[in-house]
Amino acid sequence: MSELSVDNVLGIKYLTVEDINLIHKTADQFKEVINRPIKKVPSLRDITIANLFFENSTRTKLSFELAEKRLSADVINFSAAQSSVKKGETLVDTVNNILAMKVDLVVMRHPHPGAGVFLSKHVDARIVNAGDGAHEHPTQALLDSYSIREKLGSLKGKKVVIVGDILHSRVALSNIYCLKKLGAEVMVCGPATLLPKHIESLGVKVELNLKKALEWCDVANMLRVQNERMDISYFPSVREYVQQYGVNRELLDSLKKDIVIMHPGPINRGVEITSDVADSDQAIILNQVENGVAIRMAVLYLVAAKIRRND
Amino acid sequence: MILLKNATIIDATSTLNGKKRDVLIKNGKIEKIASSIENSDAKIIQKDNLHLSIGWMDTSVSLGEPGFEERQTLKNGIKAAAAGGFTTIMLNPNNQPNPQDQSGVMYLKNVTANQAVSILPVGSFTLHQDGEHLAELYDMQKAGAVSFYDYKHEVTNANLLKVGLQYTSSFNSVVQSYPQNKDIAGKGIVNEDLVSTNLGLKSMPSLAEELQIARDLRIAAYTKGRLHIPTVSTTEGLKLIKEYKKSSKNVSCSVSIHHLTLSSNELESFDANFKLQPPLRDDKEVKQLQKFLNSDVIDVVTSDHMPLTIEHKDLEFDRATAGTIGMESAFGALNNLIATDKAVELLTNGYTVFNQDRPQIEEGQIANLTIFEPDTSYTFEKSNIVSTSKNSAFLGKTMKGKVIGIINNKKALWNE
Repeated sequence: MSELSVDNVLGIKYLTVEDINLIHKTADQFKEVINRPIKKVPSLRDITIANLFFENSTRTKLSFELAEKRLSADVINFSAAQSSVKKGETLVDTVNNILAMKVDLVVMRHPHPGAGVFLSKHVDARIVNAGDGAHEHPTQALLDSYSIREKLGSLKGKKVVIVGDILHSRVALSNIYCLKKLGAEVMVCGPATLLPKHIESLGVKVELNLKKALEWCDVANMLRVQNERMDISYFPSVREYVQQYGVNRELLDSLKKDIVIMHPGPINRGVEITSDVADSDQAIILNQVENGVAIRMAVLYLVAAKIRRND
Repeated sequence: MILLKNATIIDATSTLNGKKRDVLIKNGKIEKIASSIENSDAKIIQKDNLHLSIGWMDTSVSLGEPGFEERQTLKNGIKAAAAGGFTTIMLNPNNQPNPQDQSGVMYLKNVTANQAVSILPVGSFTLHQDGEHLAELYDMQKAGAVSFYDYKHEVTNANLLKVGLQYTSSFNSVVQSYPQNKDIAGKGIVNEDLVSTNLGLKSMPSLAEELQIARDLRIAAYTKGRLHIPTVSTTEGLKLIKEYKKSSKNVSCSVSIHHLTLSSNELESFDANFKLQPPLRDDKEVKQLQKFLNSDVIDVVTSDHMPLTIEHKDLEFDRATAGTIGMESAFGALNNLIATDKAVELLTNGYTVFNQDRPQIEEGQIANLTIFEPDTSYTFEKSNIVSTSKNSAFLGKTMKGKVIGIINNKKALWNE
């Protein structure tokens, strides 16, 4: 198979296992490209991409922009802070105005779940979801699973625990879908207040005790506590959160094996993980960042390929 | 003059129930009911499988006038009600301004007088519906308000509900309390279930409704006042009401047709037409709710009609306003679920629940009738919508039974 089964990448749940494998395989090639002295290929030189960020982002935006530029696409950037959205324009109008300037592909981050799905029904452009509320963040899950594959060979039968704020996390949801599709076992761990009540129905294990979770797993993906998404207090203090759900050297050393530590960033050092853990050999946090560019190049390349074929 | 030929009469309280008769209506009254009537001057309504019942009543309808005329005017609302077979609708205080005193209620009564659809205004329970001071309930009742309700706002202050129920008992009125604890509901916009987990939408547990119903039933028991709990959507809530009704008669409830027919599975595509308040519950809950239809726990079924323009609906799910229109699809959806006589019963119990004179199918009585055909199946489409706003959660759904027309207040409105 050489093309995606979908026209837009809106979420992992809309992708097949073959799609994920194809993106990973394509990313292998682009990873080789970005490690060359000249990190650029002309693949998308006829494509214009708009990065629409209706919510703040630093690393995802940079990663997408770099991916686009290394594929030689023309890139325009838009962020809500300086936009007409604040003047009352609807999402569909905003995007259609941008598309009227002959844009082929939209990369969108949006605070509302399902915004990408909604938009895909209303506009005539390909859409890549760069995070929609607490719904999905497909490229993050693709790069996370790619990084685990790179480190451990395969995902089949591997045990991955996602630790922290699962309730507000699109990274958690996309990771659960992606890891399960690739044959891994998934566990979520965090305070009960930050775990969706029906999360077990997604086929994941639930563990409230961090040490037990770490003893079970091969990989621990530590999520950031998203204070900005919380409208009420889900735990009394960060200090107490760290006591129960922070990973430190001592805890890792108490395990009988070396587990892989991941983090989608940005890290709150001393909260989810201590500095000595973040900077240790067990952590693949910077590999994730590097792979992020390759994965996004692969996604954009494969989505753009469908544009030309369909036209 | 109108002559209904060979119509099956559906009215559990009448000796004519289930019988086929010709019915002659003259000057707004039922002139004659007989096995065969011939009258060459009358407009003759003759159809296969013609059915007749007392006019249906919808106990929870929002229209846009005054304030949101772009959604639906009273005039258009009356047409939509007639298309749905309703001869009487209770109009929610969901306008700008809302009726909260005698003049507000009188205005609505006056502008809708002598229409084919009788409009019964519901007054605000508290001033500005902010839950602090009781509105002038007695004065509003004298002006024609049938009930009092802070539309879909929780009565947060339990003492205020207590006082309101005590106060209204001297003039025999009905207070409605929206069943949702807002602290538990939080910012939730959909039901907490597998679907909300999958979609990342902010959710509320059904606990929010159960808690509020439990509280309100205790207050009703204490005050002995007449409490109506509108748009119940959980089985636990209905179980509490069922238990309460074993010993007391001062509480009634309604369930919306969409909660009986649609589940949260509809949300998978993020279509805001399915954004409702209370939210659609999961599949299992919907099936459980349906089981209550043949008990006496649910007093009335309502469309909970809420017209909204495309500007409020065709948005990201989080930003869209909750509500669906429902009058036009009410009978077809309900009749698809249960036997026709039961459907008619649930669409006509409102008269008793809200202390209104129940129309009768007898010679000499005022004609307040719904004429329908209960067996035709069809798919509900935009062309079936009479309302200005087209925000229906029932588009594409299978309906069973069609409304042919209504007769009320010396007027008749026909669908074809």
